[in-house]
Amino acid sequence: MGAVHLVVLALTLLSVGLSGYAIWRDSGLEWSFAVPAPPAPEDAPRFETVFEYSVDQGIAHSPAIVVQDEGPEIVWFQGSSEARPDVAIHRVGLTRDDAGQWRAGPPEPYITSHALGDGFVPRQLVVTLGNTIENEGAEQSLYATVVSVGGWAMASIADVRMQDGRPVRARKLSLSPFLNRSFLVKSPMVEYADGSFALPAYFEMGSTYGALVRFDAEGRVRDQRRMTGQGIKPIQPMIVPLDASRAVAFLRDFNDSGRIYVSRTEDGGRSWSKAGATDIAHPNAPVAALPVAGGRILMAMNGSGGDANQLHLALSEDEGESWRMIHTLEKTRGEARYPMLRRLPDGDILLAYSQGTKTGLRAVVMNEAWVAAQ
Amino acid sequence: MSGVLAAGGLGVLVAWVVFALAGWFVAAPLSVWLGGVVGALAVLLLRDTVPMRGLVALLAPFGVMLPALALRHMAARLGLPVMPFGTVDLLVFLVAYIVFLASAMGALPVDIYRLGYAPFPVAVLVLAVCAYGLITGNWFLPLVAVLGQALWITGWGSSNWFDYVTHVLLVPMAAVTLVLRLF
Repeated sequence: MGAVHLVVLALTLLSVGLSGYAIWRDSGLEWSFAVPAPPAPEDAPRFETVFEYSVDQGIAHSPAIVVQDEGPEIVWFQGSSEARPDVAIHRVGLTRDDAGQWRAGPPEPYITSHALGDGFVPRQLVVTLGNTIENEGAEQSLYATVVSVGGWAMASIADVRMQDGRPVRARKLSLSPFLNRSFLVKSPMVEYADGSFALPAYFEMGSTYGALVRFDAEGRVRDQRRMTGQGIKPIQPMIVPLDASRAVAFLRDFNDSGRIYVSRTEDGGRSWSKAGATDIAHPNAPVAALPVAGGRILMAMNGSGGDANQLHLALSEDEGESWRMIHTLEKTRGEARYPMLRRLPDGDILLAYSQGTKTGLRAVVMNEAWVAAQ
Repeated sequence: MSGVLAAGGLGVLVAWVVFALAGWFVAAPLSVWLGGVVGALAVLLLRDTVPMRGLVALLAPFGVMLPALALRHMAARLGLPVMPFGTVDLLVFLVAYIVFLASAMGALPVDIYRLGYAPFPVAVLVLAVCAYGLITGNWFLPLVAVLGQALWITGWGSSNWFDYVTHVLLVPMAAVTLVLRLF
């Protein structure tokens, strides 16, 4: 046996030791969803607009909701045009006074491309920013869609840790062997029974698919599972857990088929069915959904195959099989798109969406009693 | 530590590019020294410039394999004994890696990249590379695989082992090497 073989043998033994340690340390993943427990509809029905915002020039688009005890925040991206270097993440804080009246603070810039680039170690070039959502698994944290080169198909998802209103640490999620490229976020996270959260994401290069990303205790990617379709490009999965093991994901078809697609899991998200078309006629745009009282699902959708000029609220009483329109949101000039629905700590439901074809935002708050009354 | 690893990887790649370009005009060891000095200075003095920030954004994670190949190439020019990869081995690697990338793009129904997150599949993969090294007498690939596994466990870089032992730049590198050998 030569020296080379001895070296390789030593490396093999070292590898066995490392593997043993890694297997011993790994705690695995819990694959049981946290079962949604919406509050019962008890108060008087409430439905009110709490935030209206528009820009004279440029775009303000893709609002996300950050839920926190001191009042929710809405974050969105804003700039001269989509995917431009001057696009920054903006935010507004919403509070409710003692009389129950909602008040919106002043909208303000929150994260610039340069500031986010400084948060990486070593510092990186960030050319523009896109869809950003709350990282519910860590305090003061966001997942931001960042682009360093090319367009959205070359985007990455960055785990951004905030402190005193600025990014102090950022790292790209390890999601793709293509230099972590082509993964984006849109929809809120999904909670598991062990208190961890999974991230719905989507891969936009090539065949295109939705993904469910799982994390370890340190917030590093530990697994990802796909939602695929046949002849479609299913993106922006909006996942609604139905019970501990079952969930439904509503997917936008990037191929302009004029339908919303559905993928289902019966094993806690380990595997997902091939995305199938629903009866919901819908433009090439995402939807938002939320479990509400009575085992029903509330969805914000455009509900029209051709355009996204109006946003509707719909209810499903059969786990997403069929839908009943319950409300049409006030129509404004241009498209109403990119809705997000989140449950607030007091049980109310906050809906935010962009309007005026990406030139403004609106947020409304409703309670379970209002939903039940429709 | 992840910053140190990324900066180190970037420095080695810059050194390698400068070494390769300088090789057209000056012979080793001067080209190697030139590359090393420029790579170190670039990382130490120019790391906050747009080109360097852009390179990090574009090419990170650098992993182990890419810097290791660069160092190996420069070591060979310095006269150190380096066992070349066989043509068949390169061809098999290129085909396998393209299949791997295709699976990551969703072109295949399996997701091979996902295996790189979990300790047991990684253990099997590293052992397979070590077995290949034992059979062929090649210590370089087992070293990269085990070093990648060690860094993967530390959590300083990517959470996927494949990011340490592969890099998309390996496709053009392997393709060019094969073309130069075959034609």
